[in-house]
Amino acid sequence: MFSQVRRVATNATTRKFLAGGALISGVSASAALYADSLTAQAMTAAEHGLHPPAFSWPHNGPFDTFDHAAIRRGYQVYREVCAACHSLDRIAWRTLIGVSHTNQEVRDMSAEFEYDDEPDEQGNPKKRPGKLADYIPGPYPNEQAARSANQGALPPDLSLIVKARHGGADYIFSLLTGYPEEPPAGVVLPPGSNYNPYFPGGAIAMGRVLFDDLVEYEDGTPATTSQMAKDVTTFLNWCSEPEHDERKRLGLKAILVVSSLYLLSVWVKKFKWAAIKNRKFVFNPPKTKK
Amino acid sequence: MLSLRSSLRTSLKSLAPSTRMLSGSAVAAKSTYRTPNFGDSIKENNDPDRSRSYAYFMVGSLGLLSSAGAKSTVDSFISSMSASADVLAMAKVEVSLAAIPEGKNVVVKWQGKPVFIRHRTSAEVQEANEVQMAALKDPQTDADRTKDPQWLIMLGICTHLGCVPIGESGDFGGWFCPCHGSHYDISGRIRKGPAPLNLEIPAYEFEEDGQKVIVG
Amino acid sequence: MSFSTLYRVLFKRNSVFVGTVLASAFVFQASFDSAVTKWYETHNKGKLWKDVKLQLQEGGDDEDEDEDDE
Repeated sequence: MFSQVRRVATNATTRKFLAGGALISGVSASAALYADSLTAQAMTAAEHGLHPPAFSWPHNGPFDTFDHAAIRRGYQVYREVCAACHSLDRIAWRTLIGVSHTNQEVRDMSAEFEYDDEPDEQGNPKKRPGKLADYIPGPYPNEQAARSANQGALPPDLSLIVKARHGGADYIFSLLTGYPEEPPAGVVLPPGSNYNPYFPGGAIAMGRVLFDDLVEYEDGTPATTSQMAKDVTTFLNWCSEPEHDERKRLGLKAILVVSSLYLLSVWVKKFKWAAIKNRKFVFNPPKTKK
Repeated sequence: MLSLRSSLRTSLKSLAPSTRMLSGSAVAAKSTYRTPNFGDSIKENNDPDRSRSYAYFMVGSLGLLSSAGAKSTVDSFISSMSASADVLAMAKVEVSLAAIPEGKNVVVKWQGKPVFIRHRTSAEVQEANEVQMAALKDPQTDADRTKDPQWLIMLGICTHLGCVPIGESGDFGGWFCPCHGSHYDISGRIRKGPAPLNLEIPAYEFEEDGQKVIVG
Repeated sequence: MSFSTLYRVLFKRNSVFVGTVLASAFVFQASFDSAVTKWYETHNKGKLWKDVKLQLQEGGDDEDEDEDDE
């Protein structure tokens, strides 16, 4: 039976027919897939957001710490710009000490905010100035207030935002600096949203917020849009990974110790096995009497 | 493996007539095993002390790094039991003393417990010092109970059953516990009533030239 | 110190050997930690908070303070 099939297939006309059929079905399948990709926007930059470029952050290397001057400036940008809408719920004031501010500066910063205190003797609610142990207060008391103030959109909490987004710091920086003057032709945006190619779907409720010279840095760094974006991204990256600097220091120690342990154990293994592997067994048979 | 075994069997079969099977000289004589020559591996000018010390050094270094690693591992497990940073941050309370006038009591909360801070007048300090030790149930001088005689800082929990005493009352001009009638004097010492001990003094430090006290 | 004395002093008795190893583990931990930290801080000079703090104390009026020390 198999020989019969082979005999049919070797027929020249049939072979041409089969090849033509394969070609046609391949081309039409590709065309169908291409047409589908145009309509459904599946697996395109428009659906997933433009892939952010890899920036050379000062903390990129395996042994590189954050740039703490940038964290300090970034806190200023957060406080003066982002904090109008975004909370930073998981960051306590005390964590800023020794990272971007001195003890006294953080005390003064925290005391500017009011926190609920224990009620007084008559049971009336009281307020007290913030302490180091308090967490940085957000702009809205709850989610509903945040949504109603932002046309239904909820500004996400920024404590872990660098870890919570694909692309991390690169994505945050690209998003902050990636607002074009106007959306490209043919893009239809829902009402109340702005176009940003890095945002998945392209339509983001947050508008462009960083403009040149929006803040005035105390260290005299020119406050360009990209400088502010870099600084606030570094600050948010620190918020997400406050253990970052210590982690890399410990990693360095661990690599050094573990690799020396490995080399030493290889040497000791060879040493211990040398006597076994080089062992000679000599058997001297007794003379047999003939 | 199989061929080895069968070849062994055949070689043993040939020994069958012999009584001492394994020490038969016939097999040894037939062996094709060539003893390797280790001559290349033998060092010239070998100093046994030196190589022995070297071996001990390497083994010792391995032990050193392993024990250092083991210590770090144990350390990190143990330190995970200590208080976390947020707990430590709540563990102290700061009170500004500048706002407390002389002869006034202030009650602050510290770790959920009331802390009495009294700015004592010099007359009160004198009164506290004049008390005879014999008259006390739990003898303690006023100097033992204060770091600065002007400021009396103590836990506001009655040592009897844990009520909170009332300030500026009682028979001895200090505190009075309404639950079972314990009277404390102006140094917080028990003078009358069921309480067995003086009011407890927490750990505290004065800072900024006595302008601030940190309890905890 | 010749190797024979080294052997006699340190390695001959196992208790002395093990004791030396454990004692030097403590010394090693402290010195290794400070050495790594020193290198790490030199490697990241200018980016660390203590450097930034120094710069701030020297005065923020210095216009061209460049903290990118790369």
